[in-house]
Order: sequence, then structure tokens, then C-alpha cells
Amino acid sequence: MSDQSDAAPVTILQAINAALNDAMEFDEAIIVLGEDVADPEEGGVLGVTKGLSSRFGDDRVRSTPIAEQAIVGAAIGASLVGYKPVAEIMLMNFTTVAMDMIVNHAAKLRFMSGGQTNVPIVIRTMTGTGFGSGGQHSDYLEAWFAHTPGMKVVAPSNPMDAYGLMRAAIDDPDPVLYIENLPAYWIPGPPAEKGFTVPLGKALVAKEGADVTIVSYSRTLIEALGAVEQMDAAGVSAEIIDLRTISPWDKETVYASVAKTGRCLIVHEAVTAFGVGAEIAATLQSRFFGKLKAPVGRLGAPYAPVPFSKPLESAYAPDSRRIADAAIALATKEHSIDGN
Amino acid sequence: MATEVLLPKLGFSMNEGTLTEWLAENGSPVVKGQPLFALESDKSTNEVESPASGVLTINVPPGGVYAVGTVLAMID
Amino acid sequence: MTSEFAPDLPTQLEIYKRVALLKANDERSRKVIMTGRLVMPYYSYRGQEVIPAAMSAALSDQDYWVTIYRGIHDMLAKGMPLKDLWAEIAGRVDGTCKGKGGPMHLTYPAKGIMVTTGIVGSSMPIANGIAWGSQLSGNGRVTVATFGDGASNIGAFHESLNLASVWKLPVIFLCQNNLYGEHTTYEKATSAPRIADRAVAYNMPGVRVNGNDPVEMYAAAREAVERARAGNGPTLIEAMTFRFHGHVFGDADAYMDKAQKQAAMEADPVPIFRARLIAEGIASESELAAIEADIEAQLDEAVDFALASPFPDLGELTRDVYANGENA
Repeated sequence: MSDQSDAAPVTILQAINAALNDAMEFDEAIIVLGEDVADPEEGGVLGVTKGLSSRFGDDRVRSTPIAEQAIVGAAIGASLVGYKPVAEIMLMNFTTVAMDMIVNHAAKLRFMSGGQTNVPIVIRTMTGTGFGSGGQHSDYLEAWFAHTPGMKVVAPSNPMDAYGLMRAAIDDPDPVLYIENLPAYWIPGPPAEKGFTVPLGKALVAKEGADVTIVSYSRTLIEALGAVEQMDAAGVSAEIIDLRTISPWDKETVYASVAKTGRCLIVHEAVTAFGVGAEIAATLQSRFFGKLKAPVGRLGAPYAPVPFSKPLESAYAPDSRRIADAAIALATKEHSIDGN
Repeated sequence: MATEVLLPKLGFSMNEGTLTEWLAENGSPVVKGQPLFALESDKSTNEVESPASGVLTINVPPGGVYAVGTVLAMID
Repeated sequence: MTSEFAPDLPTQLEIYKRVALLKANDERSRKVIMTGRLVMPYYSYRGQEVIPAAMSAALSDQDYWVTIYRGIHDMLAKGMPLKDLWAEIAGRVDGTCKGKGGPMHLTYPAKGIMVTTGIVGSSMPIANGIAWGSQLSGNGRVTVATFGDGASNIGAFHESLNLASVWKLPVIFLCQNNLYGEHTTYEKATSAPRIADRAVAYNMPGVRVNGNDPVEMYAAAREAVERARAGNGPTLIEAMTFRFHGHVFGDADAYMDKAQKQAAMEADPVPIFRARLIAEGIASESELAAIEADIEAQLDEAVDFALASPFPDLGELTRDVYANGENA
């Protein structure tokens, strides 16, 4: 990984666009489809796919009807005959409309065909609270797809990883769900070198520490980094791990960290109950039982749909302050049996 | 070589069936394809044919409920 | 119906060979299931053989076919080998999917069977994708998507026909209308008097044919195939037929109109076709009998092969989830 911190920063949005551009230039099998993705329709509602159709033509980059099953189905079918489709499902909530295609087909065809066929698609989708979109346009649903054998799920938190994960996802022979956070699209950071890839299934230690391991991804990873100042002031040295790939997750890196710190807090924007944190917590307690200094903590959204009203919405997803509070509590409090 | 007479699975959710009646006698010679027993599932009643020719040795009495795959008899 | 697309005599005989194979395979399947040696939910296609036999005669090996759980007739007509099929439905490791797909997911890429689905309607979105791939490659291949009358009411049908029409995809939407969607009659479930009429809504040609008439079925198939190959887009074919053994084999079919079922079975298209071939001098009795005997011998071989094949080892449980055997 080359240090590009002297180069002009790019946003996550620009990084994804660059990744698609570079990949498509190099490999004609890569095709893009989704609602409004082509340039006559402005290259995506936020411009993530801008310039692609003008550069690569409207055979390879197609704006589709509003038809999520048709979109994912077309991606699956084309991938069965040698193409590498990158399909956009505009908002993660709309993956529900294509669940049959994703869960019953994309995830399972390799297995059900006994390895004769595979589905090398990428499904890009955006989500996240912060824009008042309400209950049907803001959900983090990664747990459902992580729970589906055959799917891979990734979520970048910075421009360099956004580029690298997209390049890797496109080349991965299995279906990858690539989660983009809406408010984080414009967060700047060092750009990736052309061709840079982030291996799927590999986490990144975003910050080293000794007292507590914070495991997160996507928007809340950014929030966790924003909590460092408060944690440092409280004398808590946090080690922050960016999973980058939610499933299959990098157990080795997380284990090494928890073995060192003895305390773990998993943070995600998704609802806490039955979320990714539950899976990681269960795995950690099973492996480290008796060696943990505190129960494994989970910090996510409350068990409720995303509310519209601003103060409620702002209180919904974990932010830097609440992450710091939780991490400090985990690191400093004496813990009772019920973990509170 | 002896052939097992198995209780078949008919339909989507069938796990067991009732052998309502044997249609051939224990110890008698049977011919492949002849009706061997009557099978009742919750969806239907069927006559099941003999899978082979030979002498029939019945393992289970009629009227019983048996799981799919149960060896009901042998034909030798 | 245009005579330019009608099948010539050798093609009619070829269609009969496939019809005979499909009929014999269904009969053998039911027979083996009744012995308890094949344990699976079986969706019999008996009565519907002519449709895929005729359609496949208008296709090449390189063309694609996406079918559904009542689709073994489609697969055999397309050329899936008997042994690979039987070992798969028997759940054996020598099955085409190593026993891991079963009858609803039979896959055989060498004959263009890239995927089979158990979800009503889901053949169509994926068939569109395969057709899109052919369109991009410019290889002239055509994709057939089979579905039933019931599936014409599911969202995927509408999304798929619309997209295929807008993108002018080389796909053929083949509805095998057997008058029942599971236990529900056509009239109770479908707002259109004819599914073929729905083609108008999606700006594509739609035709209703007697799917049990090999000449009519083949002609409609040929026309649709040529349209697709020429780059002129999709066709909706509604092929009328009937299924003799209900939704899933073993059901009592109490919901079916007995007189209707009886009439359909008496009008069994297979012996009618056979008799016509002989009457018109296209084939002799002994020729057809020889074909049928050979089919029985092939079936004997396939069944024996399947039942003698071992089951997959437990390691197969977690193989083929991802490419490289990784785990979550």
C-alpha cells in the first residue's frame, strides 16, 4: 500500500467512481447497471457513476427501469455467461425488493450447481441516517446478507479503502454487497494508487491501542476515530479496527487485538439487536471466555425504525460521543454479572 | 439378491404413511409390477407395485404408520 | 401461423424422439419414486412434453434455457444427459451438481442450462441477464425462459418483460399454461383472458399456441428464435397444455376438475403424435418402437448408475459456498 497522503485528497464518492473507471478501462467484461446510473440521467443520483456511460458506451453502462428484481436478475444472468456486472440498488432498503434474486439465487447458485457456475456480481447500495430520509430509506441491513451463506459483504470507511474494496469486489468470483454510507460520501482522504486493491476478508487496524478494542465499519468507524480525543483525555487507549469486510470477517486481526486488550466494543449503525455485533460478540466470548476483562459490548441503534424527526434521528445511530462514553465505561468500570 | 420394499415419499411434505393393506400374502411369489400394498398419506391413497419378482417376506403388519424409507418387506 | 416456420419431416421425427424420451423419463421417475428408492418432491411434466421437444428442436446447444421446478422435460429436451440428471435427483455425488442442487436446481452449462430455479417467476429476470450477455457478446445466442401460467402474475414477470422489451433482448418468454397455478385455476388467479395478450402491455409480439401440437409449437418457436437471433427482441409464447399428475406427484388433486383432467388425459398428445407419424408415413411402427426401446435401455442405465453412485461426503456441506473454500 503506497502512501498517497501527499497527493490531493479525494472523497469516497470520487474514489468509487475512479475505481469503476479504472476497472472498466482494464476489463471489458465489467458492465454497470442501475436506476439513473448513465450520464443522460446524471450518472447516478449523487454522481457516483458519472462519466462512465460517456466513456464506455451505453451497452456497458445502462440506466434501468425501476425494477430491482430485474436489475439484480440481469446482473446474475450476465455473470453466468462471463460478465462482471456492477449493479446498483439505489438504497439498501430496496434490496428487500430483490431479496429473492440476492438470497435465493446470487448467493446460492455456486453451491446448488455443485460448483459448475458462479455469480461474480457486485451490488452497490447506499444507506445511512443523517438526511431525514426516514424509516424506509436509511436502514443498515448487512446482518441479513452476512447471514446468507455465499454472499460477501463489504463497507469502506475512507476513500482509499473505497477504491481498493471496489477493485477487489469486482474481481471476486463471488457475489459481493458493497455498502456505501450516504453522509460519508463527501469525506475526503488520501487517494488510492491506480490498481490498488484491498483484499476481501482483511481488516485494518486504524489506530493502535492497549485498553479496549473497538471493532466497527462504515460510518461508525469514522465516528470511532472521532472519539479518540475524548478517550485519550480519559486515559483510555483504544485500538480501533476497521473490519472493511463484514463477511467473511477478519477473525485473526480481531482476536489478536482482543487477546491484547481483553475488552471489546463492537459498534455499528445497524440496530443492535440481532446485528453483526451479536455474531462477533458471541464468537469472542466463546474464544476468550475467562480471559476477558469485561463483557463484550455492543453499541448500535435502538430497536426501532429510523425516525424522521431530527433530534430523534440524531440520537439513533452511535456517534463519537456515545462511542467514547461506551468505550471508557468498558475500560474503566468494574463490571457486574449482567454487564452493565 | 434380495430386494427391499420401501415406503415411498409422495408429495411435498410427506414424512410417513399408513400401510392400510397388503395386497399379496406373506410367503407368496410376487411378480414385478403387480400391486403389492395400499399406501395412505394425508394427501392421497395409492397402490404401490412390487419392485421385483420373487418370494415376499412381510416385515410389518398392515394398519401401521411408518416413516418414509421403512423396509416394509423383502422379496427374494 | 406461417408455414415458413413449420417443421420439415426429419425435424418432426426428431421432435418425436425427444417427446418419447420425456414421456418415458417421467413414467420411470414416478415408478422409481413409488419403490421408495428416489425420495424427492417430484413435479411431473407428463402431458407437457411436446412444448420443450418442439422448442428445443429450434435451438442449438449454445442457446440457453432457464427453467423452473417443473422443468425436467425442458432440461432433457435441451440435452442434459440422463445419467447426470438421474444421479443428481438421487442426491448422489455423480449428479451434475454433486447432489447439492437436486431436481429444482439442475445445472448443465455445456448444453446452456446455466441455472434452474425453484422460485416461481425467477427464471425470467435471470434469463434476461443471460440474454443481455449474448447481446453484448454479439454471439447470436438466444435464451428461453420457461414459466407457468401462475408465474405470469408475479412481479418478476412484469419487470422482466418490460426490461427485455426496452433493451430488445434476445429472449423468449415461454409460458407453459397448464391451466393451474398450484391448486388454483387460471380463471381465479389471472386477470387477462389470455396471457399472450399481456405482450401488448410490454410492446412485444405475443402468441398463443396449442403447445401439444408439435407443428404449431415448433413454428411459433422457430419464429421467435429467428426474431431474437436477428436482434429484433423478445417474444411471449403462451403454449396451452395440461399436466396429468397435479402440482406435485403424490397429491390427490381433489381441487382439479375430474372431467377436465380425464378429457386431457384422453387427448394425450404423445400417442396422437405417434399415430400421425405412422399414418403420414414419416416413420414406421418398428422404427418408433426401436427408438422407444433404446430410450428404455438408456433409462435402465441411468437409473442403475444413479442408485449405485455414492452420496457426497460431508465435506461437500461447506464446499462451493465461496470460490476458495473460505468461511464466514
